[in-house]
Amino acid sequence: MSDVNNDIVLEIKDIHKSFNKLEVLQGISMEVKRGEVVAVIGPSGGGKSTLLRCATTLEKVDAGRIVIGGDVLCDEVDGHLVYCDKKLEKEIRSKFGLVFQNFNLFPHFSVRRNITEALIHVHKKSKPEADAICDGLLKKMDLEAKADEYPCNLSGGQQQRVSIARALATNPEIIFFDEPTSALDPELTKGVLTVIKELAQEKMTMVIVTHEMSFARDVADRIVFMDGGVIVEEGPAYDLVTNPKQERTKAFLAGY
Amino acid sequence: MDETNQVIRTLFMTLTQLVQGFGFTLAIFGLTLLFSIPLGLLICKGRMSKIPVISLICRFYISVLRGTPLMLQLLLVYFGPYYMFRVSLGNDYRFIATIIAFSLNYAAYFAEIFRGGIQSMSKGQYEAATVLGFSKSQTYFKIILPQVIKRVLPSVSNEIITLVKDTSLAQVLSVTEMFTRASAAASKQVSVMPFIVAGLFYYAMNLLIEFILNRVEKSMSYYS
Repeated sequence: MSDVNNDIVLEIKDIHKSFNKLEVLQGISMEVKRGEVVAVIGPSGGGKSTLLRCATTLEKVDAGRIVIGGDVLCDEVDGHLVYCDKKLEKEIRSKFGLVFQNFNLFPHFSVRRNITEALIHVHKKSKPEADAICDGLLKKMDLEAKADEYPCNLSGGQQQRVSIARALATNPEIIFFDEPTSALDPELTKGVLTVIKELAQEKMTMVIVTHEMSFARDVADRIVFMDGGVIVEEGPAYDLVTNPKQERTKAFLAGY
Repeated sequence: MDETNQVIRTLFMTLTQLVQGFGFTLAIFGLTLLFSIPLGLLICKGRMSKIPVISLICRFYISVLRGTPLMLQLLLVYFGPYYMFRVSLGNDYRFIATIIAFSLNYAAYFAEIFRGGIQSMSKGQYEAATVLGFSKSQTYFKIILPQVIKRVLPSVSNEIITLVKDTSLAQVLSVTEMFTRASAAASKQVSVMPFIVAGLFYYAMNLLIEFILNRVEKSMSYYS
């Protein structure tokens, strides 16, 4: 497993993934630099979510190389795919955060516990330390008053902001968003996108799978357009949205 | 006057006898819950195992124990060792056999209830826990199990209430629990009164259990 560039937080090289006979990822390569915001767009079933799931250890690739924060999750060695051991995998998981489409908050935990539980029991922080981190994040998310509420008493937008706070709590090097606003109505979408925009201004490294085209254009540095398991086109966000080169990209963007 | 005295005396005697038997009833009830719930969880785990042999064995276990009468299972556990191996296990074995048979039987039901609860959990809960770095056992005990308990509570309550009444089946092994004593008293007195009193005991016990279970359910209603 070879050299690693420190300025590159995420390196994905020629990954393949099939479900049964269907090859969902047919050789995807991409790099994300520190502080960069990359939006991944494309039609449903194009492999966007699978790409994210492979990068976040929720799915195992069939072939290819993935490096996160300098640690090699998997690589080809002598033509064979090798995954890292459990210990390193756990280490890698502490380097990224993942925000789900359906939030996936723990319903039986208060907002505070949703955010602090992993800090205390995985990262071995003291309760006061964890609480301080939690308070800071809730303030940032404009949810200070909700620390003791349960997720079921929050709006979808508030729940998603809690889940962003949860992903940020462990101070990850990169955050992945899997369609963070697809389960929200337009009114609630705004609050969540504002939070992500603020993170972009703070130079948080992010990969965002989204259908919000104007958001991707305005907030992302780069856009990757995926369809049929391959990257059809990628480029600076503004250019790609306003002046796509590929026919498939044009056709897709025409729908927005 | 004498007749009234007689009735009161009989009633009092019946009550004393039933109360003596009630201890056994409680013991069967308590010990069965104590053993069958963990065993049920274990069988549930086995039933959901990815190893086909283990899963198949657990399926078979559940199928047989749910598919045959509890009374038959009681008799088999009690008489089995003697008829099959000529081992005599003494008088205490009546009670032990009762607990074994009840626990094995109820574990089968609990296993299926737990399986339903675990399988109703969304995949997202596991995934969120995984990416946050929780270990498998942390995920299970902190995230999954507390939610499963809330979900299975109504079905488990059903089983617990049924168990109270099922303890009366221990009569077939002449365990002197409440129902055995009620039957004896009824035939001795040539009266249904002992049965009615026993019925009141069972019902009172279940009322109390219902009350407790409702409280537990309420204590978990802070989230949905």
